[in-house]
Amino acid sequence: MRFNTFRFLVKEGVRSLRQNFFMSAASILVLVSCLLITGCAYLVYENVEHAFDWAYQQNVVVAYAKDEVTDERATAIKAELEAQSNVTQVEYISKEALLDRYKDEFGELLEDLQADNPLQDAFVISFQDLTLFDETVSLVKTIDGIDKVDYDQALSETLVKVRNVVLTVGVWVIALLLIVSLFIIANTIKLTVYSRRREISIMRSVGATQWFVRFPFMVEGIILGSVAGAVSYGLLFGVYEIIRQNFTFSSSLELIPFAVVWWQLLVGFLAGGMVTGILGSTLSIGRYLKEHTE
Amino acid sequence: MIEFRDVHKTYETGNEALKGIDIKIEEGEFVFIVGASGAGKSTFLKLIMREEVATSGEVVVSNFKLSKLKKRQIPYLRRAMGIVFQDFRLIDTMTVFDNVAFAMRVVGASQREIRRRVPYVLGLVGLQGKTKNFPAELSGGEQQRVGLARALVNNPSLIIADEPTGNIDPELSYEIMELLTEINRRGTTVLVVTHDQELVKSFGRRVIEIRQGLVVSDSKEVPHEI
Repeated sequence: MRFNTFRFLVKEGVRSLRQNFFMSAASILVLVSCLLITGCAYLVYENVEHAFDWAYQQNVVVAYAKDEVTDERATAIKAELEAQSNVTQVEYISKEALLDRYKDEFGELLEDLQADNPLQDAFVISFQDLTLFDETVSLVKTIDGIDKVDYDQALSETLVKVRNVVLTVGVWVIALLLIVSLFIIANTIKLTVYSRRREISIMRSVGATQWFVRFPFMVEGIILGSVAGAVSYGLLFGVYEIIRQNFTFSSSLELIPFAVVWWQLLVGFLAGGMVTGILGSTLSIGRYLKEHTE
Repeated sequence: MIEFRDVHKTYETGNEALKGIDIKIEEGEFVFIVGASGAGKSTFLKLIMREEVATSGEVVVSNFKLSKLKKRQIPYLRRAMGIVFQDFRLIDTMTVFDNVAFAMRVVGASQREIRRRVPYVLGLVGLQGKTKNFPAELSGGEQQRVGLARALVNNPSLIIADEPTGNIDPELSYEIMELLTEINRRGTTVLVVTHDQELVKSFGRRVIEIRQGLVVSDSKEVPHEI
């Protein structure tokens, strides 16, 4: 395509947007609402993931070694545990060290235990994927020298459930809103197609190719989509940061800063806006051209 | 240039618009197509422009066999012809210059070509002083001349004018017809569809009359009743 033609077609798209200003503005607003809800769903998901990570760090499994386990064997067990694919971290705490920790907490009460330490050497294990909790615990139990394993299975199961629900609901909400946005864009473009049907008929009578007729509408869709994307991004950023800075839910668990997800959201919003724009305009102009075949 | 070989056209509604048309129009001819409304003139034009496809028979326009023409080739067929409409079909929001340039932009002409060609064509139709005007500021006759300039601007070998004088004053009709005659004199084939008997008479050209989907006369004589 010549640059001249390209420029002309882009100008045509912009002209059409301006001619249907109120309709364009309305569809940008609705698209902004859809993108905002989608963005919120994404931020909720990211925060749940973050909370999940945090909770998971608190939720460790402790495996105790049998009394007869030697220091060498304990080192070997640690290595075996670390070799498990779902294990991210293993901390070895000898029974002496464990007693010292308790002594820090309970003081002299435990003084008498120094001579005959009833505690066991412990391995504090962190898992990578809590959905594989049961399998990994079973594997840990089979390691020679491990006496028993302490864990809070209910908490891990609840966390997995919460995450799955958030993920499923989030995906459905986003999918639904994308479809809604698509129809809104398609509808706006349909109106501009009808308002420009005379031009379309003239274009065709002087021998315009299909893409030449479509291009300005695609430009219009892209502009609608990207403006909506940019506006939603700005709004979401502002509102989210205000909420984050003014509301603290717990001293140890905070909302993730926007900076952590800024580029995913930016790319998502712009791409989401533009893709809906292009698809929406392709849908309506395609249907129009099909109905008015020649 | 244009050839119809036993062309039939029946619409999905069952309406039999053309019932076996055989016509040959040579390059450089000036032909009037006449007939009452509903006679089949519009279908005849739509087949030439490939807005409709013949139910049977063959239509050939500028070496394009229309029954075999693929959809994506249609724009190239239309570039070989310039079409003048009864209702002018100008874009109200564009100036005279841009309305004419529009047809060139559609075919991908360069800015330089547009700047050179559009004023020349507007000069041919006598609108050199109106380039910056909008259609609403022009008379019907002037608007039709813009339509004519747009049809001419890509230098087509065939001009099709569908009731070109239908919406303008009689005295201005002759101006438009004179322009079409001048265009024809320069070698372009011109096909004019009209029901204006007086106009047809005064130009003394080949006249094809269509009645109830059939060619009832094809001569330089004007048929008695239209």
